[in-house]
Amino acid sequence: MRIVFCGVGAIGSTAAVLCRNLEATLVFVDFDRVESKNLLAQAYVKPSVGKNKAEALKLQFLNLHGVKTEAHGVRITRDNVEALCGGADLLVDCMDNRDSRLLLSDFARRAGKPLVHGAVSGDGTFGLVRWDEHFVPDAEDTPGQATCEGGAHLPLLGLLAATLARTVQDFMKHGTRRDSIVNLSTVMS
Amino acid sequence: MATLNITYDGMSADVPVEFDGHVADADIRRIATELVRSGGVPGLHLSQLHHEAFAHFVVDRFRGARGEERIYLRPKVPFGAR
Repeated sequence: MRIVFCGVGAIGSTAAVLCRNLEATLVFVDFDRVESKNLLAQAYVKPSVGKNKAEALKLQFLNLHGVKTEAHGVRITRDNVEALCGGADLLVDCMDNRDSRLLLSDFARRAGKPLVHGAVSGDGTFGLVRWDEHFVPDAEDTPGQATCEGGAHLPLLGLLAATLARTVQDFMKHGTRRDSIVNLSTVMS
Repeated sequence: MATLNITYDGMSADVPVEFDGHVADADIRRIATELVRSGGVPGLHLSQLHHEAFAHFVVDRFRGARGEERIYLRPKVPFGAR
């Protein structure tokens, strides 16, 4: 089984670490590089600063957990989405922008691939885990509306990533697809 | 009987509601405002809630495993600006 994490920033890297027990090949796709500020909210360590996130996470899985993974340090585009995601048994969207989420969603629907999305609100008060059949990206009220960039709201990110990882685990083991809404006092599925 | 979940200002609560047929999103927002103001939502009583507090909120509708209706009223989740 092959699980492809699209985006391994705050949500994706944390959720992936919580999926390290699965009997599956974990694949990381992210074009971005690790910055010092990422260490506060993402599953990276100081020696990873400057490295590509997907490659850095792959190294950490091998060195810290003894788990082999795959990494692709590229941005997902219309030209490469089939090559990157075509072999997936499950796609996990942890990206940070609407266009990329829509691109992945379009591909998953065309290819008949299961896809689950994880997202947090910009003010850090709640997050969503949504299967693609229930996924409609919200329009922004104002252009450039705040996101969680910079790693604020770590406890909520942890809770959301854990809920997403549990959703992935339940799907892989039982085929169940549960949507959740998460805040610091409640997880509702 | 449907369950309406309201997420507001970091809080989230369920309240059972009885609807006759389909209720429009705008009406869900109005009903939620009244429920929160009146104290009808356990743990979410804000008597001074502004009447437009939910104006830009999203209404999600799902069917549970046993066919029950669940309605979520929540803020938008910005997916980035690129």
